[in-house]
Amino acid sequence: MQNRKPKNSPFRGLDIQRHSFLSDKDCRLIHEGSCQLLEEVGIGVTHAGAVKLFEKEGATKQNGRMFIPRKIVERSIQQTEKNIVLKALDSTNNLEIEGKNSRVHYGTGGQALYVLDYKDGAFEKKAAVTQDLIDIVRICENLENVDFITRPVEPNVQDEDMDLTKTRIFLENTSKHINLANLIQIEKLPEIISMVQNKELISFIACVLVSPLSMAESTTEKFIRFIQEDIPVAISSCPQAGTTAPLSEVGELMQVNAEVLSALTLANLVRPGAKILYRGIPITSNLHTNVSPRWCQPDSIRRIAIVSDMTHFYGIPCCGTAGVSDEKEPNPQAIAEKTLSWIFETASGAQFINSALGMLEQVLTVCPEQYIIDAMVIGRIKQLFLKSPDYNLRDIARTGVEEALSMFGVQMDSAMKEEVSSRINFIFSGQEEYSADHVQAQADLIKKAIISGKSSNVFLKTSRSGLRRGWLYSGKRFEGRLELEDLHLFKTEILDSYGN
Amino acid sequence: MSDLIEEIKKNLIAGRVDSEDEGFDEDMTGQPGVTELVKQALEEKIPASDILAQALTPGMEKVGRLFEDGEYLIPDMLASAECVAEATEIMEPHLAGVDIQSRGKFIVATVEGDLHDIGKNIVATILQGSGFEVQDIGTSVKASQIVQAVKESKPRFLGLSALLTSTMTHMGEVIDLLKNEGIRDQIIICIGGAPVSEEFAKKIGADIYGEDAFDAMNKLEKLA
Repeated sequence: MQNRKPKNSPFRGLDIQRHSFLSDKDCRLIHEGSCQLLEEVGIGVTHAGAVKLFEKEGATKQNGRMFIPRKIVERSIQQTEKNIVLKALDSTNNLEIEGKNSRVHYGTGGQALYVLDYKDGAFEKKAAVTQDLIDIVRICENLENVDFITRPVEPNVQDEDMDLTKTRIFLENTSKHINLANLIQIEKLPEIISMVQNKELISFIACVLVSPLSMAESTTEKFIRFIQEDIPVAISSCPQAGTTAPLSEVGELMQVNAEVLSALTLANLVRPGAKILYRGIPITSNLHTNVSPRWCQPDSIRRIAIVSDMTHFYGIPCCGTAGVSDEKEPNPQAIAEKTLSWIFETASGAQFINSALGMLEQVLTVCPEQYIIDAMVIGRIKQLFLKSPDYNLRDIARTGVEEALSMFGVQMDSAMKEEVSSRINFIFSGQEEYSADHVQAQADLIKKAIISGKSSNVFLKTSRSGLRRGWLYSGKRFEGRLELEDLHLFKTEILDSYGN
Repeated sequence: MSDLIEEIKKNLIAGRVDSEDEGFDEDMTGQPGVTELVKQALEEKIPASDILAQALTPGMEKVGRLFEDGEYLIPDMLASAECVAEATEIMEPHLAGVDIQSRGKFIVATVEGDLHDIGKNIVATILQGSGFEVQDIGTSVKASQIVQAVKESKPRFLGLSALLTSTMTHMGEVIDLLKNEGIRDQIIICIGGAPVSEEFAKKIGADIYGEDAFDAMNKLEKLA
């Protein structure tokens, strides 16, 4: 398939000219605001080892919060490894992740609880089991547009067997880079390293941060152990604007940046030159209904894409996020919103796009057929980007959604075309000013929320004016019926080829 | 009705707890909010029962209607509910002898290992605003601590929240421990959070699954 390996490169990936949403001046303002937050509001840290490391370098702890001087943060940004090679059992599947470049890779993600089974033209939801993990890894091994595989579901075995079981399943079923995401029991790490033989074959994701501005103790322990072993780790921070962060894009970006930088600083205190992927996922909350996360709506798509501006500003590898649909089943709405998120995240130059395939119902559900749909659409998107190196992003977005839906039998009418344009316009439109005053006002709000002890109430209440200014996108749905029979047969063929 | 009572009602509908609140139609920062106005009313010897009957109750009814009509959204409802909760706390010493019926005591916690508090806080605020006596015992609370709180406070309702798939299992532990202590049947248990479901509630033996804060409130109000 197209662009498996760019010319003169032994590595996978799609090389593109990246699109910037923010200027360097905007990024500098956000950086300054984040440093101010870390110095004046601090980060909640309870892990004794982390506290010791921070304090040794001059950070101070008061009332459970660690106040980190800017010089340590900025030194850590300098120290962080800027280029990482993520190896695979088949060396032609190695990935080269360079912080300043825009070679984009796509992989799976999640710790989904449920799997959708396709039977007699309908989907049936069931709890994920070990066989689902095996099936999904096998399907993704056979999909050319999957560059790496992140653990999509956990095996349903006893806790003490979970980590070794999933590692074994990966080793037996894929030749691509293995992102194990999380470990249930960190004590199993030496056994896992011994099992894979070469620890360059694996990487992890650590959800160290609990927004706003706190570190989770148990994950901090795992994170430190990964770093000590010199294994690449994506630092994940996923606030929801309006509940765990300000509704403002500026405020949320500054907070997510401060959160990731705090863990990045810790990583470099553990091991200077830590191999870090910056994973900021500043999504929004559905304040219209039930405050559930909005992963794939235009507001979240824009916010996630602008994180790549920050990672390129720092030159640190970016673990992006795209394709996590808010829909419960494969349908035209899921395809349309996923396609827009892939296109904008690709254009942003996020080098390691996680969660890109298979995911539905935010991060709760995966579906084998959806992996195939997603790989096909990502393939089409790659072609669109490759067709003209000096692409017009609006055109690619419009064409991409139209072609993606058409691939599965849905033709767009004028109302759907209008809706696509409306979503694209929203993603392009920065609704807020990136100014020192606005950054300061948002820093003050974050400080107030944390001091209050009920930060979610403060963020919710202060979201009212932004809501009325239209900071959360509200539009129409894409309806229609997908033709999926061929996909189902393709999936069955893949799994049957393994002989069970 | 006095101007002051009318002003309390107006600010409650605007969801302004105090003078720092901006409101949403126009920036009202600096103008007194519900807490300052209630204190002023009490100083001016306006009976707490009048504030309750003429400002808080009709104000919250109006907010409820605006929410049902889709004009108000969750943050608006929450802001107004917080106004009622704060005002009630200020008026409490002045309400002795006034017949106010609580809908019942509700203990709420996020279970062990889980620091997420959005759902818990929203439920606590909304229920407090609608007349429940809420005791919020925090995040990452061990099953034994939750059971201890139930033993001490003897609530009618217990709310358990979890956001993580890895922590939701602790909800079942709480219920099992309550059974072991022989007090399970004395309380109504409501669970909520992104990964839990009606099916999960049945599986662990909870009484109510709240899909969101308002679903929980509606179900609890029917039992109150």
